[in-house]
Amino acid sequence: MIHLLLYIDTLSEGYVILVTGLTIVFSGLLLLTLVFKFGLPLMLYVYKIISKGPDKKVTEISPVVNHEFTGEIAAAISVAIHMYLDVQHDKENAILTIKQARKLYSPWSSKIYGAYRNRL
Amino acid sequence: MKKVILIFGILSLLIFARPVLGLISNSADATESTRVVDAESAVEGSFISEAMDGVLQFYQYTGFANAEWGNMIMILIGIIFIYLGIKFDYEPLLLIPIGAGVIIGNIPFVAGNQTGIYETGSVLNYLYFGVVKGVYPPLIFLGIGAMTDFSSLIANPKLMLLGAAAQIGVFATFLGALYLGFSLPEAGAIGIIGGADGPTAIFLSSKLANGVNILADGTTVKNLIGPIAIAAYSYMALVPVIQPPLMKLLTSKEERLIRMKPPRAVSQKEKMIFPVVALLLTTFISPSALPLLGMLFFGNLLKESGRTERLADTARTKLIDIVTILLGLTVGASTQADIFITKDSIMIFVLGAISFVIATCGGLLFAKFMNLFLKGDDKLNPLIGAAGVSAVPDSARVVHAVGLKADPQNYLLMHAMAPNVAGVIGSAIAAGIILSFLG
Repeated sequence: MIHLLLYIDTLSEGYVILVTGLTIVFSGLLLLTLVFKFGLPLMLYVYKIISKGPDKKVTEISPVVNHEFTGEIAAAISVAIHMYLDVQHDKENAILTIKQARKLYSPWSSKIYGAYRNRL
Repeated sequence: MKKVILIFGILSLLIFARPVLGLISNSADATESTRVVDAESAVEGSFISEAMDGVLQFYQYTGFANAEWGNMIMILIGIIFIYLGIKFDYEPLLLIPIGAGVIIGNIPFVAGNQTGIYETGSVLNYLYFGVVKGVYPPLIFLGIGAMTDFSSLIANPKLMLLGAAAQIGVFATFLGALYLGFSLPEAGAIGIIGGADGPTAIFLSSKLANGVNILADGTTVKNLIGPIAIAAYSYMALVPVIQPPLMKLLTSKEERLIRMKPPRAVSQKEKMIFPVVALLLTTFISPSALPLLGMLFFGNLLKESGRTERLADTARTKLIDIVTILLGLTVGASTQADIFITKDSIMIFVLGAISFVIATCGGLLFAKFMNLFLKGDDKLNPLIGAAGVSAVPDSARVVHAVGLKADPQNYLLMHAMAPNVAGVIGSAIAAGIILSFLG
């Protein structure tokens, strides 16, 4: 009699765990989904504002500040960068030799210990 | 070939010699009793009988004398595991260590010499400690975290729900096990087979069905770690066999042809934030799964931080290899026939198969359900729902293969990886919930 009662109890508890467990798993992953769908972009945006300040619009950048920066200066800088990266040939690696291969010595291949040496 | 025949010949000779040697043991007794009467032949007789006794005593210690049919069956199963791993390439990294372990664990021996895995003080018992106390699973999770690329999940977070849907298998099996008369903790441990995640299954069964805990009615819980782990790993290996028929049954040809838009590029910052945020969220929801989820996301942080490449590299290669070797071997060896071959194990195997089927169906049907709300090229290919059972990365590969069969240009692997890794997270959360209810 008591055993039967216990058995029924177990099953009903099983159903409780089934429903709550599934709900929690679903809501947990749903929460994760929402966080990554909406929370993450927001966090990244906030981080950007904190570290760099809000983005400037093109109209906000005044041309007056940069009026000394002419095309000639830009050309000079780009030539310098080009020379530095691609054309520069001042320093070359002077070592041209091939890597020396280590001579492999092993008593197994040594001629001193040859099997037929002591034969008359 | 000649050598094989020779070895087999010797083995069969030894086996057939067993009854003959048994007869000799009787005659040895007879010589002993006649020794008193016949003194002259006693010297020669006693020497022969002593030598015979020594041989007999040695024979009593050999596997041939102690073999039982259970051991033989398990050894055969071990050989089949190894064969499946080598021939069909079904998760060889798991099946070969487990298969070898099954053979090692079922070599018949005389109890009391600290040989077997269940004898305190034996070497195998010390190695098995990591399984019994749930040490190995979190280490495996560390490696998995350091291996896994969560970017497809970050790009398309709604696929996380497919990982949750497949956990229906866990809870349905839990209920089925209750109906079959298992106690609550045992049923919880059996249910997690549906999570299709070997380490999680071992972790949960080592906490709930470890043969040490005492139930409310005063009886000790059964030790089901061996059967549960073997069932979980063998069904994981059989994913390429179990899933495709279900996928074809539950999806139409048109659905299988759906092409999903390629996932967006994910920035490194998002990848770095993911493990931290996911760790916080999931472990706050389900703190009992902390050893698993904590290690998983820690491993992923090692990978994505960009500063700890050495640690990540160790975690995903050497460390996980070492732990897999120990885990596979000891889980295999824990199938010692006298403890393993029971009615419970058979029921666990049946329940495990059902749970895999339910989990796969849950994922597939939920993907179709989600499609009702999605429009245009946001629609999901319902096949990827099947990857919601964890079994990383095998089920994703199966999805990819089935998708390719329907449309040779439709590459689903990247999309399937998202529910796949979500399934790992989901089953770990489910394990945590079951543990918090029943632990």
